[in-house]
Amino acid sequence: MAAGLCPCWALLGGRRGALRALVRPARGLAAAKETHFGFQTVSEEEKGEKVYQVFENVAKKYDLMNDSMSLGIHRLWKDILMHKMNPSPGTLLLDVAGGTGDIAFRFINYVRSIRERQLQRKLKHHQNLSWQEIADSYQEEAVKPLGDSQVVVCDINKEMLKVGRQKAQHLGYSEGLSWVVGNAEELPFDDNKFDVYTIAFGIRNVTHIDLALQEAYRVLKPGGRFLCLEFSQVNNPLLSRLYDLYSFQIIPVLGEIIAGDWKSYQYLVESIRRFPPQEEFKAMIEDAGFLKVDYQNLTSGIVAIHSGFKL
Amino acid sequence: MAAAAAGSLRRAGWRLWRGRPVVRCQLYPPQRAFHASAVLRRVLDEHKKEPSASSSQQQFDSHPTDHQPEQEPQGPRPSYTGQGGQESEDYESEEQLQHRILTAALEFVPEHGWTAEAIAEGAKTLGLSVAAAGMFHSDGSELILHFVSQCNTKLAELLEQEQKLVQLGETEKKATDQFLRDALEARLRMLIPYIEKWPQALSILLLPHNIPSGFNLLTSMIDDIWHYAGDQSTDFNWYTRRAVLTGIYNTTELVMMQDSSPDFEETWRFLENRVADAMNMGNTAKQVQSTGEALVQGLMGAAVTIKNLTGLNQRR
Repeated sequence: MAAGLCPCWALLGGRRGALRALVRPARGLAAAKETHFGFQTVSEEEKGEKVYQVFENVAKKYDLMNDSMSLGIHRLWKDILMHKMNPSPGTLLLDVAGGTGDIAFRFINYVRSIRERQLQRKLKHHQNLSWQEIADSYQEEAVKPLGDSQVVVCDINKEMLKVGRQKAQHLGYSEGLSWVVGNAEELPFDDNKFDVYTIAFGIRNVTHIDLALQEAYRVLKPGGRFLCLEFSQVNNPLLSRLYDLYSFQIIPVLGEIIAGDWKSYQYLVESIRRFPPQEEFKAMIEDAGFLKVDYQNLTSGIVAIHSGFKL
Repeated sequence: MAAAAAGSLRRAGWRLWRGRPVVRCQLYPPQRAFHASAVLRRVLDEHKKEPSASSSQQQFDSHPTDHQPEQEPQGPRPSYTGQGGQESEDYESEEQLQHRILTAALEFVPEHGWTAEAIAEGAKTLGLSVAAAGMFHSDGSELILHFVSQCNTKLAELLEQEQKLVQLGETEKKATDQFLRDALEARLRMLIPYIEKWPQALSILLLPHNIPSGFNLLTSMIDDIWHYAGDQSTDFNWYTRRAVLTGIYNTTELVMMQDSSPDFEETWRFLENRVADAMNMGNTAKQVQSTGEALVQGLMGAAVTIKNLTGLNQRR
């Protein structure tokens, strides 16, 4: 039944949710299920391989392409995500699909600045400290600049992780940072381990989004937070036209010029269109068990931050 | 289909559960104030999230046994889902959990201030992740409002007990000025553990987006005090009394933050004087009113006399 329905997806774009609800229970019964890869319909294994190839190809130019395609705005989006997270000292972060470390480095910077502010406040509070005490507190700072905070970067793609590791070495990040190869659908971590789970521009490339959400729920501690930064649906009709024009006419060209890879960027823009809109994705997060789910549109909904809690 | 049906069933049960406290607060008047504020907040939340929720809630209240999936009301779905797929009596609502976190966080306010850090520490004591602090505004306003409403509830309970004792004849009924002074003092004493950080809280409460809820809590507290003081006025006095008491409370609060005398003696003296002033003002107002009435009558009489004298009076 499911296999028969799938090719109609492209025609029935708006009713995708309803169809997916029909298809979902049938999963596992069908041997080779079909899914979408951009606007193409492929089998599920094939999608995994193809996505892997895409990111293998673009890994080296990934950051450059992000900057040129979004005119640098992706940095603001990631900063906003970090402000929304507002990690307390001692936060253990799992950044899934974060190969090149954009979120991880921001997290480390944020935690460092918070620690510094706390230290200053503490010193201001106790006015009559001896030199010994001041020296001690700075030494503690030098030994543990992050407190107990840690970030684990998990990515299925080894090439992306390699680029991230090189970047970390280059920028001088080493403390509290670890790199793990792993699939978002079956994370190689214990239950109830992390305080925050982030996935930035990654979940749309996962074959089974619902499985990834369940895994996120599993590895989070009670009270932990799920944060997802992802392309979403533009609500403004005028902007939407412009955005479509830009993404279908310009981005693949940019991809060809800068990274020498038209197809990967064609897939990128197509996969953005296939990703469920804000409300639908919110319902999916709720179905995985998260509570207090909400989302925030950034730049008129070009991207959205979804947030949920495991309570 | 099965998954979707289970989901909607869960949501229906949840909404049914949420409908219940409304009924409960009618049954137990003593907890009126607390429940009223909780219900008010819930209503506000619903207005924000789903305009059609109240109608659908009624629908479920009237058919409590109909848990059919096709009963799912139209309109946007609420953002709440149970985890286990079934609702039991001891199931803790999101809101209750949030209240628990905030209550636990109060302990850390003297150290961290009214901040997300205090909330994170509070969450930790409940065995939750520090990330749970992300559920609340990062400016700490929810923590402050929670504290204020908790204090108001405590005060209302205190006043109610006092009233009961008076009704049983165990204690004398206090004079109004004494009663007001004691009530305000009891309320202000609740701030003492947090007095160092209270200026911070006041400045946050005065931010534009916090003013409506802060003002609501303040007026309900003043209402409670006047209620137990035995005020039953329905005329314009109702407003002046509340305005005067609000003024006294706020100015005394400001004095208290500056006060360094042992056990805030100066604050209580200030409070006593202000309440006395207000009482005097009431008497003066009454005197002015009666003087004014006499004056008007005198003038009317004089006018009639003049009319008679000049022969302008037509009634002959």
